[in-house]
Amino acid sequence: MTADQTRTGAALEVEDLKVVYTVRGIDREVLRGVSFSVAPGEAYGLVGESGCGKSTCAFAAVRYLPRNGRIVGGHVRVGGRDVTSMSQKDLQDFRAREASMVYQDPAQALNPTLRIGAQVTESFLLLGQKKAQARASALEALRKVRIADPERVMDRYPFQLSGGMQQRVVIAMALACNPKLLVLDEPTTGLDATVEAEVLDLVRVLRQESDAAVVMIAHNLGIIRSLCDRVGVMYAGRIVEEGPSGEVFDSPRHPYTVGLLRSLPRHGAHKTESALATIPGILPQIGTPLPTCVYVDRCPLADDVCQTQVPPKVPIADRGGFALCHHSDRIPEVEAQLDAVQISVLSPSDDSPDVLELSAVSKTFHQRGHDIPALVGVDLTLAAGDTLGIVGESGSGKSTLAKTILGIEAVDDGGVVALDGSELAPATNDRSADSKRAMQMVFQNPDSALNRSWSVRRILVRSMQKLTGIGGEEANTKVEALAAHLRLTPRHLDLKPRQLSGGLKQRVAIARAFAGDPRIVVCDEPTSALDVSVQAAILNLLASLQSENKTSYVFITHDMGVVRYLADRIAVMYLGRIMEIGSTDQIFDDGPNHPYTEALLSAVPSVDGEVRTRIPLAGEVPSPANPPAGCVFHTRCHRLVAGLCDVTEPEPIELAPGHLSRCHLDAATLAQPVKPPASVSG
Amino acid sequence: MSDVTKSQGEDEVITLAVAAGVSERRQARKESWRQIRRRPSFIIGVVIVTIWVLCALFPDAIAPFDPLNYRAELNQPPSGDHFFGTDKGGRDVFSRVIAGARDVLKIAPLAALLGVFGGVILGMLMGYLRGRFDTIASRIVEAFISLPVVLLGLLAITTLGNSNWVVIGVVATLFTPIVARTVRSAVLAERDLDYVTSARLRGESGAFIMFREILPNVMGPIIVELTIRVGYAVFTVATLSFLGAGPPPPSPDWGAQVSDNYNSIVAGFWWSTFFPAAAIASLVVAVNLIADAVQSVLGDS
Repeated sequence: MTADQTRTGAALEVEDLKVVYTVRGIDREVLRGVSFSVAPGEAYGLVGESGCGKSTCAFAAVRYLPRNGRIVGGHVRVGGRDVTSMSQKDLQDFRAREASMVYQDPAQALNPTLRIGAQVTESFLLLGQKKAQARASALEALRKVRIADPERVMDRYPFQLSGGMQQRVVIAMALACNPKLLVLDEPTTGLDATVEAEVLDLVRVLRQESDAAVVMIAHNLGIIRSLCDRVGVMYAGRIVEEGPSGEVFDSPRHPYTVGLLRSLPRHGAHKTESALATIPGILPQIGTPLPTCVYVDRCPLADDVCQTQVPPKVPIADRGGFALCHHSDRIPEVEAQLDAVQISVLSPSDDSPDVLELSAVSKTFHQRGHDIPALVGVDLTLAAGDTLGIVGESGSGKSTLAKTILGIEAVDDGGVVALDGSELAPATNDRSADSKRAMQMVFQNPDSALNRSWSVRRILVRSMQKLTGIGGEEANTKVEALAAHLRLTPRHLDLKPRQLSGGLKQRVAIARAFAGDPRIVVCDEPTSALDVSVQAAILNLLASLQSENKTSYVFITHDMGVVRYLADRIAVMYLGRIMEIGSTDQIFDDGPNHPYTEALLSAVPSVDGEVRTRIPLAGEVPSPANPPAGCVFHTRCHRLVAGLCDVTEPEPIELAPGHLSRCHLDAATLAQPVKPPASVSG
Repeated sequence: MSDVTKSQGEDEVITLAVAAGVSERRQARKESWRQIRRRPSFIIGVVIVTIWVLCALFPDAIAPFDPLNYRAELNQPPSGDHFFGTDKGGRDVFSRVIAGARDVLKIAPLAALLGVFGGVILGMLMGYLRGRFDTIASRIVEAFISLPVVLLGLLAITTLGNSNWVVIGVVATLFTPIVARTVRSAVLAERDLDYVTSARLRGESGAFIMFREILPNVMGPIIVELTIRVGYAVFTVATLSFLGAGPPPPSPDWGAQVSDNYNSIVAGFWWSTFFPAAAIASLVVAVNLIADAVQSVLGDS
């Protein structure tokens, strides 16, 4: 055992924990001996790709496994008590008083039919408080999670609160018993970047106020870095590397951690500079017997020793923690190998003609007699071979913009969507075959985007036939060539989508979009459903297809790292308007930015540990049905000029050539730093 | 091929994923069939239905007597000669019950099939087109469903005349709106998926999207609905003929037999009513047992 396990006074001690899930009568090993401990007041992060067992680990810590899950070995001790051997009654008591969990979706954690007050009060009634006392405690708890007006919030139903507020309420309930152990399982995954940052700020502050041991699970490494003292990197049911979070991310000592970090677009990387690293192979299926090193099949350092012997926990002297690897001293070789992957993506030339032009594009939905403007006066152009990144929080209109370009939603009268200078009909159905062929889409979720009862071949051949008019055997031949180009083998063509992994499905969806040699491909969050190592492969693929075919992309995403890597120009949307548009360098490096962009960028937790001044946004996104007068952002703006911004809607002004900002403030004013409000740096 | 996508070892990715995917799926399917076959309810259902199908196919080989023309003493209780006794016309109840399987097994599945066919088309249109068509069609469907089926059927048959085809048509029409409602809700969930958007983006017609893209994905609920409807059809057909809207009296139709003989229960001659009624019940229950098993399997996917 390492020093960690024997450290006295650990709030949570997990020792050689083994968990199996019984699926169709077969025990499948999910945790293969996990050990870690968390001291009171310490935050421990668990990271890893889907299926690595990080959530199972968290559930097992409070012995809350699904019915087919079973702890088959090891111990979990919280405050010295062994959770694995508790009686059912003790366990209930333990969960009520000593451990709390916060899950991903706050809407599911709250009962939709009860007022917030009743639900928060109940957590205190459970602790044996009297009714009046419990209510007072509930108010206090809500105040503690920085809810400004707890009395009013108590009277509301969950659906009347925003996602961020709901998560605050859930956290308030989790802290009710002043737990010794707080498990946060992807607590901000469904939330927008600015809301996420607020929730994380809150968790950071609350950590200082309580001495609970925090176990935080997230797939976003930036969150872990900014919040956790130590991190455990999980792979296939084992912790393969552990150490202080900053050090682990800056100088990883396990080949998997290296691969994982390298597959993220970081340090301002751009497609024209380098390809993203990908990890060869796939995660082993859950329950596959892996007798020695769990990573051996994908590891560039693997040799005979790795095949035959279980790797030892190699302590890392200069930073603490360990790596579960025979060759943790040979990490520079992995790095060198990854550096060797080069890229040949050309940056688009500046004189490329515009393929797509939008002017005064608005889209208004009508709902129960109300007009809801989802897009307001959008003007933009897209040059051949260019990528236009569109970022913004949910409700900003980015998906509506994509649908309006494609004609899935018809543009309002007066707006023009033009392809190669000629106006397109508002609805797809009325557009010519050529313009349908010219514009295709890659969707967020390949499960929904591919017809599950069709074979891959049928999906691709049908698109090829319909878009190009090529029929029969020729279409089939061309599809096979296209598939090969996207690294799908002929064998894949005869499978159904559900027989493919997520990354392969997205490849098929991309192949379908490229079947008719499109001029423009609209990508709606094409990698947000994928693990980072798979995301890297898909982003590489998109970049190379673009550079070969001169295809233009409209790339919608909420991931700033991804958009910075892939986009040439970026439009930032808020309430259906483009607030700022400029080249990737202008938005990310040169500045100055529109105040909204400024806040958005400051909200992204960085895996590189850059310290930024967080600019918290006040209030909530206003309803698009009833947008604020003047500048729509003025209700939340930290650079508000009273009497101007709340009265007059600004026109876009040019901050630099090709860099427009819809704000009254000029470049010089925007470039001045704002007074950092009393808040934490991220 | 540009060198960007040449990320090392991705072929292994693919091979592994495929191999795992295929074997896993196949194993899953095998497993669920094994489970369904092991269910006693499924086995019982299939056995009973098979018996009745055999009776319908080869009544002469199974029935000891001629169901129409054979006459023995009236109202004899069940015995070694007449397993189910004789009815008020002296006919052998056992032989008549066996012969009666043919009518109902001809009419009920056909009526259910037609009803499901109509329901699929109507429900598909409602779910896919939505908007005004759906609103109007939904109100009509609801109005239709709220009327008592048997009364409506009886009315239609007395108006249109009494033949097997009319019964099939009437039962099918009665089932159409019920099936349409199920199909509509399945289609509603389906049409918001992105593959439908993708089909529209490449310019597919509505008919293609409905019947080639969406239909295969809603076959599960449709097959479940079909098996359930067969059960209801047996019941409805029997009820209609009990009420006199079936084949005329000498026919060995089960509903007609019940209706012909139920007066003599009072006199203690229960067997001439009980056995055809039990035959109806056994077939309905058997079909429902199968429907139940099918639903539990297809409901999963």
